[in-house]
Amino acid sequence: MSVACGNQVGLQYLSGDISGGNARCIAMLQAFQEVVKDYSTPPEKTLNRDMAAEISSCVSFLRECRPLSVSMRNAIRFVKNRIAKLSITLSESEAKASLKSDIERFINEKIIGADMVIVKHAVTKIRDGDVLLTYGSPTAVEMVLLHAHELGKKFRVLVVDSRPKLQGQLLLRRLIKRGINCAYTHINAISYIMHQVTKVFLGASSVFSNGTVYSRVGTACVAMVATAFRVPVLVCCEAYKFHERVLLDYSICSSNELGDPNAISKVHGREDINYFDGLTNNANLKFLNLMYDATPSDYISMIITDYGMVPPTSVPVIVREYQKEHLL
Amino acid sequence: MDFQVVILAGGFSSNLVPLVSKEVPKALLPVANRPVLSYVLDLLESNNLKDLIVVVEGEDAALKVGGWISSACVDRLHVEVAAVAENVGTAGALRAIAHHLTAKDILIVSGDIVSDIPPGAVAATHRRHDAAVTVMLCAQPVSGPSESGGSGGKDKTKKPACDDIIGLDSLKQFLLYIAKGAEIKKDTRVKKSILCAAGKMEIRSDLMDSHIYAFKRSVLQEVLDQKPAFRSLKEDVLPYLVRTQLRSEIFSDQNNVEENGNGNGKNNMQNNEVVLSQILSNASLPSFHQVYESGLDSRKTHKCCVYIADESKYFVRLNSIQAFMDVNRDVIGDANHLSGYSFSAHHNIVHPSAELGSKTTVGPHCMLGEGSQVGDKCSVKRSVIGRHCRIGSNVKIVNSVVMDHATIGDGCSIQGSVICSNAQLQERVTLRDCQVEAGYVVCAGSEHKGETFARK
Repeated sequence: MSVACGNQVGLQYLSGDISGGNARCIAMLQAFQEVVKDYSTPPEKTLNRDMAAEISSCVSFLRECRPLSVSMRNAIRFVKNRIAKLSITLSESEAKASLKSDIERFINEKIIGADMVIVKHAVTKIRDGDVLLTYGSPTAVEMVLLHAHELGKKFRVLVVDSRPKLQGQLLLRRLIKRGINCAYTHINAISYIMHQVTKVFLGASSVFSNGTVYSRVGTACVAMVATAFRVPVLVCCEAYKFHERVLLDYSICSSNELGDPNAISKVHGREDINYFDGLTNNANLKFLNLMYDATPSDYISMIITDYGMVPPTSVPVIVREYQKEHLL
Repeated sequence: MDFQVVILAGGFSSNLVPLVSKEVPKALLPVANRPVLSYVLDLLESNNLKDLIVVVEGEDAALKVGGWISSACVDRLHVEVAAVAENVGTAGALRAIAHHLTAKDILIVSGDIVSDIPPGAVAATHRRHDAAVTVMLCAQPVSGPSESGGSGGKDKTKKPACDDIIGLDSLKQFLLYIAKGAEIKKDTRVKKSILCAAGKMEIRSDLMDSHIYAFKRSVLQEVLDQKPAFRSLKEDVLPYLVRTQLRSEIFSDQNNVEENGNGNGKNNMQNNEVVLSQILSNASLPSFHQVYESGLDSRKTHKCCVYIADESKYFVRLNSIQAFMDVNRDVIGDANHLSGYSFSAHHNIVHPSAELGSKTTVGPHCMLGEGSQVGDKCSVKRSVIGRHCRIGSNVKIVNSVVMDHATIGDGCSIQGSVICSNAQLQERVTLRDCQVEAGYVVCAGSEHKGETFARK
């Protein structure tokens, strides 16, 4: 029961270096495919249980490196489900092939396919002359913007960014390369620029059953300011990221992920900015580098998923449907 | 992993004369009584890389290597032996077998390496960065025996095997500059564009190119086709790729998005893969190559990555007689996990069928092969003795390698020397730091220091 050396490197990579729910999930599923490919049943063990145990050990390794995102958790549940469903009559190579194709199908239908459908729906909402605002670097929204530009629609994009990750800069680079007219600002200016904006497109790490959107910290602010200015907020999120839980506790203690405190107390490359020197070990001071935040459903106008464009109150319906499909 | 491994097992190396000859190609030179090629094959097998091509220079050598491989490991590995003409250089050898290469990436391993660094990690790093070439770097070994008694060579200072000057970026992921130390007399030139794009370059001379490379197959074939004058991977191809990494003339097929699919189904698949790879590549921080690319419009870049091996790992290349002595000593001594043998209580490996005379001592870190016979009152220290050797009485063997079927007469004293197979030493021969070629007969009563005995 050993994870091949190449896999080890791969898993470390995706736990540290990749960010973004879709990318982490895809990389993890591809790593699982490798595990399945290299797997061979030890004697006196059944394939179902042993492979499930192998996947579990990979997952616990991943969890040690970084807490799992909801997309990853749903994908793991799917994989374990498929393993448990494997018929005992199948030979080992058939079982492995079936599992690999199941994982492939999940990636192609639930992630990539979902993104294509979202793009198709969302571009109908973009009109000529629009000023679109986006926050951070969501994969689905990026695809929407690029596709709309290809279709020849004339619009401007405003990329809002925040420290310490500054993910908006990556998105900005890619948009400019394609020739889209962009502006860039940090989140502290949001109340000023919001009056120019016609629509807000946001991404999500997950959506809970009461319509609360869980995504990169700062999204809630953007959504709230947009609602105050009566600007529609559209969240693009694939259905596999939906979660049947209801998030009531918005506080930091229970479910949020904390990043590296040094990232907010220091500026990378500027050692002269050291206002917190001497304070870092103070018992009264705690650095909170929150990774995620929760946007209440009142601030969201519409959620665009691969099942269509729905209001946030329809999420539990989709979760019920989606759950049923899971078990089929 | 979709990797094909090419083992460049060379053929005839002038550095190792007289140990190698027409009968014994370099790949089959025994280290601790196993051909050096077997270490490479074991390492690859343990990393799950089973699709191998062994390239040997010269038809006869290829036959011998092929014969050994088919007897030793045909069931566990899938090995093809290819013979190429002599003296074409490593690049020439790859050109010759170009039609055999089908996988997406090629791992090139030199056939004279004894190491426990996992090549799988090099392959994984290569894939992770989607690099054109990945080089494995390891710490320079220091050569020279650890005991001062009978030290090899004229000067007693430890000299590093070969100097490589390596330039790395600040994250130690990319290779910005590479040159062989011997070529640099006073000064050297570094490409300004690479330095500007990367920001910081760290120049190191304590790392060595280990001759384990991972190439993208399309890149390798294009370079070999475009530059027919290139002969050596290390000296020509690699520096060329490193120099041109920001103004790449190599068209990597990743950028080729417009594919003429047969019908909608295939188009869909292509699109899916493109989207997939884009999502993954967008998710991580861009390397300085991508930043450079996005600045200027029509520049393509390719990445040259490195994998720096852990210092605790063992690595030796068999490219000189001193290295041969070192590796034999190490495989039974410090790096004995590589040899695959189990040790007796005295820290040596004595084959059960070996016969030892009375009052004969075999010290720790020694190896005695199958069927060897050692006479009375002998003393063997830190040496490797092959199979079916006949060693007389009163013989002292220290720090030496004696290969299979050798005969050593009574009263000999051998220090720091290599005696090849079927050689014969008559009585009372004293050798220090000598090499005796296979089948040679050294006359009785002679004393020699630092000489090479070869048949003319």
